[in-house]
Amino acid sequence: MRFHILGTETSPISRTDWAIVKRIFAVLLGILVSTTILDGQQTETGTDADTQTIKALMRRIEQLEAADKQLQARVEQLEKVQQALAQPSITQLPTHLSVSSEAPANEQSAALEPEKSDADETLLNIRGFGDYSFHGDTQKGTSTSFTFGQIDLFITSHLSDRFRFLTDLVFERGRGNSYEEDLERVLLEYRYNDHLKLAVGRYHTAIGYYNLAFRHSGWFQTATGRPFLFLFEDEGGILPTHNVGVSASGLIPSGNVGLHYIAEIGNGRASRPGFQSVQNFVDENHHKSLNLALFARPDAVPGLQVGFSVYRDVLAPAELARIGETILAGYAALARPRFEWLNEALVIRHAPRGLPHVFDTPGFYTQISRRFGSYRPYLRYQYVNASDDEPVFLSVYNTPVGLQHGPSVGLRYDATESVAIKLQYDYTALRHQQAISGLALQLGFAF
Amino acid sequence: MPPMPALLVSLAVILLSELSPPGIVHAAARPPRTRNTPRQALTIIVNKSNPVENLSFAELRKIFLGERSRWPNGHRVIVAMMEPGYAERKTILRDVYRMTETEYRDYFLQGTYTGDIPASPKTLSSPAILRKFVFNAPGAIGYLLASDVDASVRVVRIDGRLPSDVEYKLQIDSD
Repeated sequence: MRFHILGTETSPISRTDWAIVKRIFAVLLGILVSTTILDGQQTETGTDADTQTIKALMRRIEQLEAADKQLQARVEQLEKVQQALAQPSITQLPTHLSVSSEAPANEQSAALEPEKSDADETLLNIRGFGDYSFHGDTQKGTSTSFTFGQIDLFITSHLSDRFRFLTDLVFERGRGNSYEEDLERVLLEYRYNDHLKLAVGRYHTAIGYYNLAFRHSGWFQTATGRPFLFLFEDEGGILPTHNVGVSASGLIPSGNVGLHYIAEIGNGRASRPGFQSVQNFVDENHHKSLNLALFARPDAVPGLQVGFSVYRDVLAPAELARIGETILAGYAALARPRFEWLNEALVIRHAPRGLPHVFDTPGFYTQISRRFGSYRPYLRYQYVNASDDEPVFLSVYNTPVGLQHGPSVGLRYDATESVAIKLQYDYTALRHQQAISGLALQLGFAF
Repeated sequence: MPPMPALLVSLAVILLSELSPPGIVHAAARPPRTRNTPRQALTIIVNKSNPVENLSFAELRKIFLGERSRWPNGHRVIVAMMEPGYAERKTILRDVYRMTETEYRDYFLQGTYTGDIPASPKTLSSPAILRKFVFNAPGAIGYLLASDVDASVRVVRIDGRLPSDVEYKLQIDSD
């Protein structure tokens, strides 16, 4: 296809050149003929001969002029053909551009975009993120280890001007010290305009800030890992960080306030043993999880995002009464290239039916960092406090929570544009147990 | 001073410095212009079919940051950037993005990853190619020196001002 296009680009130009050559040749021929005639004229005498010669020259000039007009008409015709061939591909240009990210364009592609083809439309764009750590802590039963973290292949494909497919294919720690692959995010998006984007599939639940801002890329994160509150389900997290369903999001006309919304309906988190946490194919009950998030990005403070979200679901554990789950989250995050200050707080409320009281689990974290050249020191303090008789975390999610709080301090060094080295110390105080100190050295990279 | 109050004071100082309006910090950091330096304005251009004639600086920033994906006529916004090394690109990074090259790259990498930004800007290798690109792509927006602009593209006013106006914001430092 490309050769064909190049052919259509270059063909009219070469024909034009050819036409010019023909014109020059015709003029030279005319001169030659006229010179011959003039030479012959020198041997003749008399007025009749002069008149005949002049007539012959005039005829020749008329012939040359007619030939010239024909050539001009032909050139114009070819130029029109060239424009007609170029026009359809120009209107298709944005679709092609969507899959290229900062790729330098050569002169040909910039001047005349190639024709669209089905093969181009379904091209995949792949970026990768990964991390590798050496870590250890004082918790009994653990040992220092080298660990390959998550290897995330972020794959996108622009199916049309408004449709996009994307997925996070993650290779991560599985059972028995083995790897397992997981499609952490699989979405088909339809972007109608800035005010409405619809997505179906498996998505990251819009609870708070951290879950959407960093997703599965450790490389984007300043610290070596996620806060307690935002750990993924299969890492011992207590939030439904993934969900399968439908999502709508967009910008709310609000001037300089920059208000956005996200509304989600999905299967929610599984609560029965033997089921995967994320209900990819079958929901264990008819009740669907609902989540509504609102946030503002005011123009007055670049990098600031302030928002809250409300998540509601009903858990149906086996042999237990149903449990209402409500998650309220609020945050203020200032994320600039050189400075970052993240603050999030949330409450997870579990309300078992038939019991007179509810169980609230509050939690928060604050994280601040500033970049000095290639170095970025950071500090995080986090807190979560679940009561000992909390009915869901341990018995349903198999995740001991209790009280955990403490600081983390670290230094991130960006060795190159795509490789970062992080050193982090964690201190975690626990209820009924000894505090844990941990140290981690991590190599994060993007590829 | 005890360690904890000292830490808090340090954090407060960092916060205050970070929360100050970026324009003020930026203006102070900009090298002074000498009298003899010719004034070179950076012209914002769009495709001629684009009905937009004026943009506020805030709108321009949102467009270049990828926060706006569609023009009023429905065409998808495509930001055209010069290759690194051009003074025009340096000016856009400094005044519109307020980022370094690395920060700019990370911003779009993360933005496309999170889904906030539908597509990264297109990078073009010369002013002539960028002009041709904007001429050809209905949703394109780019920038050129005023001397590189011709009738094939439309010049957009910024805050109601043309590049020839005295108070036009986008000026290239010839340092």
